Amino acid sequence: MLNQILFIDDDPITLMLCKKVIARADFCHEIITSSNGEEALQHFTAMKKNRDIIRPDLIFLDLNMPIMGGWEFLNYFEKIEFSEFKTIKVVVLSSTIDPEDLEKSKQYEMVIDFLPKPISTQMLTYLSDKMGF
Amino acid sequence: MKSKTNQVILIYIIISLFVAIVSYRIAWHYIQPQHLYLYSFAKDCIFIILTGILFRFILAKNDNRSIAIFKQLKKTNDEIRESNEKYDIVAKATSDTIWDWTLEDDNFTWNKGIESVFGYQINEVGNTSTWWFDKIHPEDSIKMSIRLYSFIEQKTEKWQDQYRFKCADNTYKYVLDRGFLIKDESGKVTRMIGAIQDITKQKEEEQRLKLLETVITQSKDSVLITEAHSDKNQIPNIIYTNPAFSQMTGYTSEEMFGKAPNFFNSPKSDLEALQTILNAIAKKEECLIETLSLSKNKEEYWIRLSMIPVFNTENEISHWISIQRDISDDKKREKEKEQLIRELTQNNKDLKQFSYITSHNLRAPLSNLTGLLNLLEDMPIENQELQEILTGFSKSTHLLNETINDLVKVIIIKDNPSIKKEDIQIADIFENVFSQLSFQIELYKPIIKLNFANVSIINTNKAYIESILLNLLSNSIKYKSEDRKLKITIASQKTDEGILLLFKDNGIGIDLDQHRNKVFGLYQRFHNYPDSKGLGLYLVKSQIETMGGSIEIESEVNKGTTFTLIFKNKN
Repeated sequence: MLNQILFIDDDPITLMLCKKVIARADFCHEIITSSNGEEALQHFTAMKKNRDIIRPDLIFLDLNMPIMGGWEFLNYFEKIEFSEFKTIKVVVLSSTIDPEDLEKSKQYEMVIDFLPKPISTQMLTYLSDKMGF
Repeated sequence: MKSKTNQVILIYIIISLFVAIVSYRIAWHYIQPQHLYLYSFAKDCIFIILTGILFRFILAKNDNRSIAIFKQLKKTNDEIRESNEKYDIVAKATSDTIWDWTLEDDNFTWNKGIESVFGYQINEVGNTSTWWFDKIHPEDSIKMSIRLYSFIEQKTEKWQDQYRFKCADNTYKYVLDRGFLIKDESGKVTRMIGAIQDITKQKEEEQRLKLLETVITQSKDSVLITEAHSDKNQIPNIIYTNPAFSQMTGYTSEEMFGKAPNFFNSPKSDLEALQTILNAIAKKEECLIETLSLSKNKEEYWIRLSMIPVFNTENEISHWISIQRDISDDKKREKEKEQLIRELTQNNKDLKQFSYITSHNLRAPLSNLTGLLNLLEDMPIENQELQEILTGFSKSTHLLNETINDLVKVIIIKDNPSIKKEDIQIADIFENVFSQLSFQIELYKPIIKLNFANVSIINTNKAYIESILLNLLSNSIKYKSEDRKLKITIASQKTDEGILLLFKDNGIGIDLDQHRNKVFGLYQRFHNYPDSKGLGLYLVKSQIETMGGSIEIESEVNKGTTFTLIFKNKN
């Protein structure tokens, strides 16, 4: 079981759904959320300053968000200033059907999977098998 | 001659009398009267001898004169005969038909030409001018007569005319008739002699050439003819331009005569095209180019220009012909078309983006609904009515989800009709497909055997082949048999036709006897599975056919299905 996961999604219903599904699957101890990429980056910046803040093991990332979308977040997150978080894995969780998005996601080393919404318990089982916990 | 005879007799009498008197005197003086007989005899002898000598002189002189006259006559005669012969030969050689018209009594005679050229027998030929006039084509006769009488009345100096003359077989021949007048001492016209020349062939040739010429003169394409040769790196000089040339370029024939064509006079002219022409001229080959050109009043226009060498019988270039067409409108249309295509491509791209966004925005809340309903599945609901409402809610949500997924797939297949093909490793394609289906593969753990030893690379469109294999693979998983473990075999083969990809499973199969015609149809479902939408194989077929390939199916119920994908060779 993971310790903490971060959900980045602007839709409160999606977040609520994710929390409930994850709670049932015993996937992790704690869930934190950010409503867009910028908010998530602020959280990581804060983390850099304060070592006491718990670091998430996995990020579920939506693509289409206001202020800062998923791709932009990944571009920032890849940079040297966030290099201390590069062990954190990212799963893109989106309702997009554009085949280009799937191709694009493969360019990011930290993205380990590209899954369609909605999140399900089967999906979490598959992920925990894949990540080996 | 008569007077000459009298003259001779008179001279003879005078001389004889003179001789008689002289002899008498001599005799009288020398001879005695008793010798009168002898005297008479001697006198007569002397008289005969003297007059004989005299006669000889006179006759000899006369004779000489006669011989001279006879010789003169013979010479004249020979000359006339020769002249006549010459006339006949000339008439024969020129095939001229000669006529001779005595105006006073209207006597009209023809030479042999009337028979040999026009086919009339001697007895058919009339001997008045009326017969002549009757044979002239009605459309020509009035004009011809006016000119002829104007000549006879000596109002005009020369007469020659062209008209149609009727032959014995009632056809008409074009003739050229030339005439001369013969006048008496008072200057009155007595005779007219004419020579008719058959010019039917020339006339027909002339008409044929005139007809052919209309092609050049009436053509809307600009036509020019140039000399055979030119200085190096120069188009040969113009010797003819048609009216369309002047219309198009604004330059008259006179302006361009003897100059090289100036189609490359715009700063924007295609100099590569000019080089093409010069190379073709050097090699004596025809060529076709397009360039921007400038008219005399500095207007730009596009031309398509051809240069064609014309060879004579000795296989040497006699001249070049060049045809130019103003293709400005074509070029404009082409540009408009390109612009239109650009706009349409952009529109299409926008629409595609729009459909992806719309689909995303529809799917996002829909996936929430699906997820929430999934949560409800594990929760016991006591209230019967609420349960019913939630069941309806769930069914409708799933239906909406399926419909949207259908539409999404149609969008993807219609997305890009012109597809790009590339050489792709088959193994790489499967790696991608498996990763997209990794969730299901992990779940059902089918046995998958791959054999790409024969062919490892195919030339195809990456997105399509992935979609096709994704469909086939997910179908195999979806329609696996519950009785046995799913086994999928995929192998590649090379044939004359192209590359085959065999995709075989041991699933529930399709009854082909019943469904063969509908297998690849739209919205065809053969199994009552809730998540079957009847779209997968339709998409597969559309995609492989878009790439120029084909798909075949073999299947047996409860044994399995084999799909054969055929990727045609590049050509």
